[in-house]
Amino acid sequence: MLIHLPIAQVAVDPLILIAIGMLVGFLSGLFGVGGGFLLTPLLIFYGIPAAVAASTQANQILATSIAGVSAHWRDRQVDTRLGTLMLVGGLAGSTIGVGVFSILKAFGVVDATISVLYIIFLSVIGGLMAWESVNALGKAGGGDPGRRTRLRAWMRGLPMKRRFPRSGLYISIIPPIAIGFFVGVLAAVLGVGGGFILAPAMVYLLGVPTRVMVGTSLFQIIFLTAYVTFLQATFNGTVDLVLAAVLMVGGVIGARYGAIAGRRLKAAQLRLLLALLVLAIAGRLVYELYVEPQPEYRLEEAR
Amino acid sequence: MKRLAACLLVATLGLAGASAQPQEGRDRPIMAAGIAQDRIEVEVNYSDSRIVVFAATPQPENPTSGLAVALVGPQVPQRMIRRTGAGDQRIEFVAAPLVFAIGAEKQVEESVPSEVMVQAGLNAQSSALPRLDQLLSPELDAWRAAFVNLKMEQGLYTFGRTEFRHFDGGLRRATIDLPQNAPPGEYTVRAVAFRDGRMVGESRQTFTLARSGLDATLFDLSRQHGLVYGFVAVLFGVLVGGIAAWVGRK
Repeated sequence: MLIHLPIAQVAVDPLILIAIGMLVGFLSGLFGVGGGFLLTPLLIFYGIPAAVAASTQANQILATSIAGVSAHWRDRQVDTRLGTLMLVGGLAGSTIGVGVFSILKAFGVVDATISVLYIIFLSVIGGLMAWESVNALGKAGGGDPGRRTRLRAWMRGLPMKRRFPRSGLYISIIPPIAIGFFVGVLAAVLGVGGGFILAPAMVYLLGVPTRVMVGTSLFQIIFLTAYVTFLQATFNGTVDLVLAAVLMVGGVIGARYGAIAGRRLKAAQLRLLLALLVLAIAGRLVYELYVEPQPEYRLEEAR
Repeated sequence: MKRLAACLLVATLGLAGASAQPQEGRDRPIMAAGIAQDRIEVEVNYSDSRIVVFAATPQPENPTSGLAVALVGPQVPQRMIRRTGAGDQRIEFVAAPLVFAIGAEKQVEESVPSEVMVQAGLNAQSSALPRLDQLLSPELDAWRAAFVNLKMEQGLYTFGRTEFRHFDGGLRRATIDLPQNAPPGEYTVRAVAFRDGRMVGESRQTFTLARSGLDATLFDLSRQHGLVYGFVAVLFGVLVGGIAAWVGRK
């Protein structure tokens, strides 16, 4: 059976879309990442126009994040106070990041530079995470990284300290806002949600426990994807609600099972898998940039 | 999969032009024709449709006498980008069909020169009309060829997929598949008769591919009330996520 998508204007098999949604939802529930980095290329590969795929994935991730965060909420592993601070920083950062992107674009040659920086960034983060989590697994416990590390020593002298009981932290509000801001700029410049950058930053820079990180990251993604969905639907008209509905069916199921699977893993195992995911994204970018042939001609997409 | 059929009855094709041997181009004889269905509706469960054309060819006993059928439309401006070492180049076709499906009987393919097909308007590349200042570009043919290739990759341009059946008295039935991703709009179905490598008759019929039901509602809402559509999209995501969370607690 095929269904016709009103905005994408293509006929698709809903079962395939449900399977794609389920896979991405599972990763979202497991790691606390949105999954747009995986969903968008999968949809384009399946024949959905790029503009519709990029816009609609935000709507699907909105639903799966709500479903995913509810499971973490029940386990009291969502730090809304910390998430809100990072969200404020993220919204400001993404707004400024859009401006930065326009300036970089005006100078030309921005695409390749961004891609190379992105690959280096992801490889370093993924590599360090993998190294740390493998070491942690080797030791007894395989829990969260130590709290009083040299990496976080600089934070202790900062003013405006607040308690974050859910994360068990007493830190300045400046680092969460700054991290949210930095990820927001990166997300806008690189055109991704930024969940897989935010997640390791929360664990290693702020010292958020891995399981609280997953729930808090999803909490923040809800608001970011709602914002993106609204903007894309209102100003570009590229959100396909029929496509989103079909993806959501698979996504919310996958997110539930992802959250359940996460409970059965040790924190270090979870970090190791996230590290492998980050490295896989870097690998995909290397492939796109240096291996995959770029078409000489393309049609300019009409709005 | 729901199939819809549009039957175009082209009863007298070729009879008037059979003896006149007209010049190609403006002297083409226009044939009388009737349409059984002139509107196809696209709904969420729409997947594809078939256009069925009946036509009587002149002098069917002549081994070179045959039919070509084309489905063309809607004509809209389209832009292309070419990646080069020195940056991107662009071309704009002021009018080019979004869909171009053509099929011809074997004897027509074998006997009709390509320039006659171009003059008859049955060549996909020639149907893409550039801006006046790009008309004499030495790279126009390359642009047009690339344009057709990209459209073929999208499944919107198809060649030789038409089925022909012969009946007594020279009556032919041609069936063309309307691509499942064909956009709504005005389409033209052309049936062109050839004999001895020349065009001897033509008929044109139009039909409308329209949206209906949920498909039309969502599309119109997104285009005419963007703000409302934005709120609906966000609420929809929140609602589905909320229901899933509620079900998960049970």
